[in-house]
Amino acid sequence: MSDTPTRDEQDRPNGPTGPDQTLPEGVSADGTPTEAPVRRYTDEQKYAVFNKEFMPHIDSMYNFAFRLTMDEDDANDLVQDTYLKAFRFISSFEQGTNAKAWLFRILKNSFINDYRKKSKEPAKVDYQDVETTYNSEDAETEHTIDLRAESVSDLIGDEVATALNSLPVDFRTVIILCDIEGFTYEEMAKILDIPIGTVRSRLHRARNLLKEKLRDYAASMGYREQNEE
Amino acid sequence: MQTSLPSSSPGSMKEHCDHQVDCLKMIQVILDGQATEQQIERLRNNLHTCQPCIQMYNLEKEIKQLLNGKMEKKCCPEQLIASIKARISQFS
Ligand SMILES: [Zn+2]
Repeated sequence: MSDTPTRDEQDRPNGPTGPDQTLPEGVSADGTPTEAPVRRYTDEQKYAVFNKEFMPHIDSMYNFAFRLTMDEDDANDLVQDTYLKAFRFISSFEQGTNAKAWLFRILKNSFINDYRKKSKEPAKVDYQDVETTYNSEDAETEHTIDLRAESVSDLIGDEVATALNSLPVDFRTVIILCDIEGFTYEEMAKILDIPIGTVRSRLHRARNLLKEKLRDYAASMGYREQNEE
Repeated sequence: MQTSLPSSSPGSMKEHCDHQVDCLKMIQVILDGQATEQQIERLRNNLHTCQPCIQMYNLEKEIKQLLNGKMEKKCCPEQLIASIKARISQFS
């Protein structure tokens, strides 16, 4: 196949801690809208938008928060902070647009700015290190993982979750957004503040890492499928 | 995407894929529902002729289903929902 996605080694993602990423698009640090037009909702309308457009996503948001923090208390705090921020900046949300992506972006930024530093996750692999390793020349002689669909089909949910949770958070994130939440690459690019090319390459790498983990699980099960055949 | 896989007809199948990494990337784009018609058509061809592509397609699809179907999905605790609603009601 020749019309594959363009390589994007050059388009570096914005650093995870760029300036002022906590706030929704179009809102500056002091809460005043920048470019996005202000929507003058009445209080009643604010609550209506909040209940109708934001609350339906709360289970997805909670799962996302839990998979990021891997801690129930942190997930609770993160979801609460996100929803309070969403309400405070509701005038920068346009009714009928993608509320889920808007909320996920706020949650992701809150996680980076407020939670990541004090995360209980031990020996965290820093995103930059990982991406650098995977961007190096050696890693670019890319490989495919030797694994068969039949070897993973018997894995149970907990094993899949453990494999996913063992990935560095930035790789875990793209898999959650794409495979679990079903966001498009374009939506992911907005949520993560990175170019679409980076979304695709990070996803590709994340999946290779995940397959390595799943292969290890499959191997530790002693290739039981083969024995059964 | 629903692509019916051919039952392997030995002689015509490629055992080796020369573009495995590129094919894999394309397969992922397609399974993610982000491919063009042209890309899908191309994959359909590969799935009739290339054994490694068939295997990669099945694996990627299986993993996507594992992630989506088998992992526990938690519900947001009721207490948290109540707490959020209580907090925002004090905002105005
Ligand atoms: Zn092939």
